[in-house]
Amino acid sequence: MTRTSVNPGRVEWSGENPGIYLKESSGAPDYSTLALFFRVVLSPHGRGHAALVLGAPDAAAGWPDAPNFIMTDNQRMMRWIVDGWVAKMPTFVGRPGLSGMSWLDCESAARDPGDLRTRYSETLYGSGVGVEMIWRDLGAPLPVEVSPANSATGEHDMYSVFLEARAADVLVNGTPLPGRVQDRMFFGRRMSTAFLAFSETWVTPGKGG
Amino acid sequence: MPLSQPVTPGTVDWTGENPGILLRDDAGEFSAMALFFRIAWSPAGQGQVLLLYGSPGDGSPAATPPNVLMSDNGELADFLKENFIAMLGAFRNAPAFGGLRDVAVRSVRSSGDPMGCRYAESVSGEDLSVELVWEDLEPPRALELTPDQVGTGAHTMFTLLVPARSAAIFVNGARLPGRVGTRVQAGFETTTAFLYFSETWVIPPEAG
Repeated sequence: MTRTSVNPGRVEWSGENPGIYLKESSGAPDYSTLALFFRVVLSPHGRGHAALVLGAPDAAAGWPDAPNFIMTDNQRMMRWIVDGWVAKMPTFVGRPGLSGMSWLDCESAARDPGDLRTRYSETLYGSGVGVEMIWRDLGAPLPVEVSPANSATGEHDMYSVFLEARAADVLVNGTPLPGRVQDRMFFGRRMSTAFLAFSETWVTPGKGG
Repeated sequence: MPLSQPVTPGTVDWTGENPGILLRDDAGEFSAMALFFRIAWSPAGQGQVLLLYGSPGDGSPAATPPNVLMSDNGELADFLKENFIAMLGAFRNAPAFGGLRDVAVRSVRSSGDPMGCRYAESVSGEDLSVELVWEDLEPPRALELTPDQVGTGAHTMFTLLVPARSAAIFVNGARLPGRVGTRVQAGFETTTAFLYFSETWVIPPEAG
């Protein structure tokens, strides 16, 4: 195999992007809860945090009518990432909840790393809403790099470090959203639908890329 | 660029941020050196660590400006010192390496914009307040380096490099002497002041 030391493409954004996707049963055709957290350290629109929560992914409604919202301290950056990345991910593409979600301000975002093998959480508050994403029973870190053919957007090179979690919860104002972690094929292997993703960088391939 | 095999073989040693500033005097010797670590995953957990050689050529624990290892996770600081910093020749071979004073961190704050004009990390603890400032920033580049291209000589490394053409280290408000120089990484010339985001060090399977 060959490596190119300097990716000739354009770096788009970088940071952390863990997620939790839940189903009410292993045989359920669709997800009951979709949630992504973002800690962006570099982008053309600055830095920031966000929690994107779709507790009713197939309802074209936002908070408080449905638990569908994005809470962020950098709306411009997240509008760019939602349009350019999230809306193109197979799990999110065409979801009515994504277009119907409310945009909420984020006043604080904090992590509780605890023991990285047993529990990790991200907690955000803002606009009168509290969100907690909790990952439990974590695996070993997997270094991942994919080309556009294998990346979630189908358009980018992506580098990351994934840790799968065997259990996870998304709480909104202390109430768990429905569903449990399932298995899926991911990066050519069977993995959980809850994962931490550290050191994630998205690159638009350039000349020779 | 990414390979067709999605999962890179090997064992993750640590991942996070690792910016640094190496300043040289007029004779070309290092006059001040700093590496900052914001670790997202390691066997010793998460945390923030600042390695500062204010006096690289002085091995005394009482050196002024100080040589310190500041951290909010002592186990992580020990892990990095023994398993990473000790493998970087420029740091291991400096007399300061043998006289580091451990300092507990009280606060860490990052500011600025790495795709803007200025970025800074401010670290304080006990009697010390240290600020690292990077300016005149170049566009980010995604790097994937093999063991023969990295300082440890033993890892595959992924990182996002933002070179800075100017930089400064302040200790309790006083600017340390020295200037940013040049270096060669992966075949291209860059500077001795750098931001490294989303950096992952992997021990290849053949070394495991």
